[in-house]
Amino acid sequence: MTTTANITEAGTGGQGTAADPTVVVRDLHQHYGDFEAVKGVSFEIRPGELFALLGTNGAGKTTTIETLEGFRRPGSGTVRVFGLDPYGQPTGVRERTNAVLQGSGLLEDLSVAETMDLAHDLAADPADTDEILELVGIADERGVAVRQLSGGQKRRLDLALALITRPEVLYLDEPTTGMDPEARHETWRIISGLKEDGVAILLTTHYLEEAERLADRLAIMHRGEVRVEGTLTDVLAGWGDRVSFLLPADVRTGDLPDLPGAEVAVESRDQELWATYTAMGDDVSDRAHHTVAALIAWAAEHGTTLKHLQVRGASLEDVFLRVADGAADLVHG
Amino acid sequence: MSTTTTAPARPRPTIGWTRQVLRLARTEFTLFVRYKTAWMFLALPLFVSVMTLQLPNDEVVPGFGTSDLALVASIGTAGLILGIGHPSNVFTARRESLVLKRLRVSGVPQTVIFGATIGVVLLFSLIITALVGGAIFALSGALPRDPLMLVTAVILSGVVFSLLGLLLTPLVRNAEAAQMAAMVPMTILLFVGGGVIPLEFLPEGVRQVVGLLPSVPAGEMAQAAYTGHDVFGGFADAREKSLPGLWVAALPSIGVMLAWTAVLGLLVRRYFQWDPRRP
Repeated sequence: MTTTANITEAGTGGQGTAADPTVVVRDLHQHYGDFEAVKGVSFEIRPGELFALLGTNGAGKTTTIETLEGFRRPGSGTVRVFGLDPYGQPTGVRERTNAVLQGSGLLEDLSVAETMDLAHDLAADPADTDEILELVGIADERGVAVRQLSGGQKRRLDLALALITRPEVLYLDEPTTGMDPEARHETWRIISGLKEDGVAILLTTHYLEEAERLADRLAIMHRGEVRVEGTLTDVLAGWGDRVSFLLPADVRTGDLPDLPGAEVAVESRDQELWATYTAMGDDVSDRAHHTVAALIAWAAEHGTTLKHLQVRGASLEDVFLRVADGAADLVHG
Repeated sequence: MSTTTTAPARPRPTIGWTRQVLRLARTEFTLFVRYKTAWMFLALPLFVSVMTLQLPNDEVVPGFGTSDLALVASIGTAGLILGIGHPSNVFTARRESLVLKRLRVSGVPQTVIFGATIGVVLLFSLIITALVGGAIFALSGALPRDPLMLVTAVILSGVVFSLLGLLLTPLVRNAEAAQMAAMVPMTILLFVGGGVIPLEFLPEGVRQVVGLLPSVPAGEMAQAAYTGHDVFGGFADAREKSLPGLWVAALPSIGVMLAWTAVLGLLVRRYFQWDPRRP
């Protein structure tokens, strides 16, 4: 199958420099009556960049996306897409953006081919329909009624409809929900291709692995606020690497060494005591090694063995859960 | 973070509004044919037309009896029933299933989405007009003296009532509720539109008030178009007019329809909801 190079416009020149953001959100606030759904959110997305907006249900992600899509006027703050206010989808924005919505939004009484032909004919500068259907893997379903498609196939059709207009900015609101693992990986490949072609992408997802694989930068929202923001490396660096081992029977908690750049905690698991060192230094690539090396040296010196020694970098899930628990302080990478 | 500099807009091909409306209307036509509910809204005006045949047919305008004129006025109900019923139904269902949002995020302007559906309402209203016109010809041999006025009445009526149908959608959450909600204005406007109860049977004061409703002018324009008489003040004093004179006489009715179009258009623009999510 082809790459996405021939279905997108973004990378074909004239896009501006890599430093120019196509999507700019500044101090966005949104209210529903007295309830403040979005509290001062700011971010930018540049061509070829994927920004993942993560968060718990009701965190304000969809409200933020809907504001960018032009369905809601900002309560306060600034939202710009290609330098224009996207509210009402003015000319200059609507023909250059597209989205995969959280729900399908398909006319169930049409066939796949009729759906794609309609989208193709309504677009100002459409891609080739057959090529898009091949790309998303539902070319064999052309004659099938939309209502007869599986949930995963409908999501592929959603993606096809978003790609047919050759968008330069793409909003993906949980695009792989309902897909099987194979389809999800294939969709990730397509999204990566879009990034290479210079499309600016905003992604929301509940699959943290999806964000880890695709996002150049990400933010985690909770209760309307961005609690964590930065590159994946930045975000994980703030949460440290964890070195755990079964506390030797002849070692008391107070005997554990103090290590520079690491904090120790002891917890009971299945009636056994485990020690966990969290390495927090700025040397993200080396800090786990330094912590393990110091512990091994300490164990050799004391003639003991660190049983079940485990080294684990912080995962996005760790960060997400801390944010969801409300335990995370504001972290901006 | 950098300042709010942006990528410069690169020229892209554009697509015309008319082309988009016609293309979407083609699909709307296909969907209309596939929707069972749409067929019900198509049959209802014909049923109303048949019902007028049960009325007494004393001649009130040369060549036309009460029943004949009620049948002619029933042409105005096509736009009313299809206009209120079809858009309220499909736009509510499509809003809830995110179809409207899908179209919008794909770059399809609001006016194209509205225009295509209203276009299909007008098409089927004109088809019903042709059917009823055929029935009138078969029954009495009459043809409209001013076909253009007849078509104008059908088009204005279709637009006004489609906007009214769109205005119902923010009030309901699903297609079933939309169908029920549509029945209320549809029934009221049908009864005071002259297609079910001839306006001649109403007291003068009531007749003047209902004359300001959007359902009356279309029926009266249809009657004027068929008879060539100025029936806008009632049948008793109806006088035959030249075509220009007939249009002059129709101006207040056209004005009422245009005023309703403007008011309903503004209300739709203000209150129509594209998104099922509510604050």
